[in-house]
Amino acid sequence: MLSNVLLLVIAVAGMSISITATYVITGNFRETMGERFIVEDVWFRPGGISVYLRNTGKTRISVAGIYVDYITQPFTSLQLEPLEHGWTNLTYTWMPNTVYYIKVITSRGTQVADYYKSPP
Amino acid sequence: MVVLSLVVLAVIVVNVILWDYQMNQLDWERTRETFTVSSVSRVTRSSWFVTQTEYEVTEGSRISGSYLDTQIADGSYERFRESSPPRGFDANGTFSIDTSDFPLAYVDGVEILLRYAVDDNGERWFLKAYNWTSEMYSDSGFNSTSGHAPSSGWNSYTVNLTNMWRSYVSPEGRIIIKIRDQQPDSTRTNMDIDYLAVRTVVNGTVFTFQNQGSRTAHLVSIWVNDAALHRRYETDLFVNSGETYSYTRLDIPLPDGQYTAKVISERGNTAVHTGD
Repeated sequence: MLSNVLLLVIAVAGMSISITATYVITGNFRETMGERFIVEDVWFRPGGISVYLRNTGKTRISVAGIYVDYITQPFTSLQLEPLEHGWTNLTYTWMPNTVYYIKVITSRGTQVADYYKSPP
Repeated sequence: MVVLSLVVLAVIVVNVILWDYQMNQLDWERTRETFTVSSVSRVTRSSWFVTQTEYEVTEGSRISGSYLDTQIADGSYERFRESSPPRGFDANGTFSIDTSDFPLAYVDGVEILLRYAVDDNGERWFLKAYNWTSEMYSDSGFNSTSGHAPSSGWNSYTVNLTNMWRSYVSPEGRIIIKIRDQQPDSTRTNMDIDYLAVRTVVNGTVFTFQNQGSRTAHLVSIWVNDAALHRRYETDLFVNSGETYSYTRLDIPLPDGQYTAKVISERGNTAVHTGD
């Protein structure tokens, strides 16, 4: 009798762990695969660069890093729900008429990068 | 235990495949979306708004024609005549600005155009408008208050209400215009109105979008950038596949000098137009 109960408890516990693991694994997969965003605009302002992002994917994104010419730069934090958009500002001393390679990376590793030329 | 593991594995795989399929579809749709900004131009005037009701003649009389003849500048006219001595003329017409297309918040001024002919050139003709604040007809603030001296044939008289236009336009966009002669004189004049209309002075932009892709494009933001400013405007515009759409925005002024206009779709595509 006791052995039956123990077996039942072990089976239920095993199922619970399996379901939780499935939920976590697929959830992570879905979120990583569902990330899409674009850079709507890059604005070279005095003393910094502003980058306007739009979340075009199906999951919330959080900007984890912005690189200018492969060097990470301080920026204002930005989280965007699907279809949301907004500015993030970098503190950066840029030179006129110079091409910069700007890369934006999310907390899940999705990245968008392109070259942008500063105004004269 | 093995069966359970297989079930869990199957669920994970199915989930990933389904989600991958959805995201692939999203990416596929994005690649199929192709649109351009084929032109960007400044809009400085609305269309002309003509009267939709008969003129009210308070001095003088209507001889022939109707207000319909004053809606198009085509030589077909409505004739009025000065009163019997003291031979004066005074008539009012009501005009409505389409505030759904031209909200007053984005209007910078109002212009009045009168195309008319008279058989006596001896006196000047005046345009006034009803001042909704002082509740009387006035031409205070008009760029021309000295009237118009007609010559033979058709005459065009244009008046700009300058920055006083707000006093002459009701919140619903109504403006009442008065036409009157200079003073009593020796001739009982016939006055033919071929065209009388008002229009608004605005500072907006007309964009022409062309959807060359096979998917409907949902345009969600417009950027107008120049060297000094990057301005973003929300929009919510659907352009069907193969369609060319002309889109007027009175709240978007084009900068002087070189600028870049960008439009962004919900799927994340961008079309750019450069102008100056």
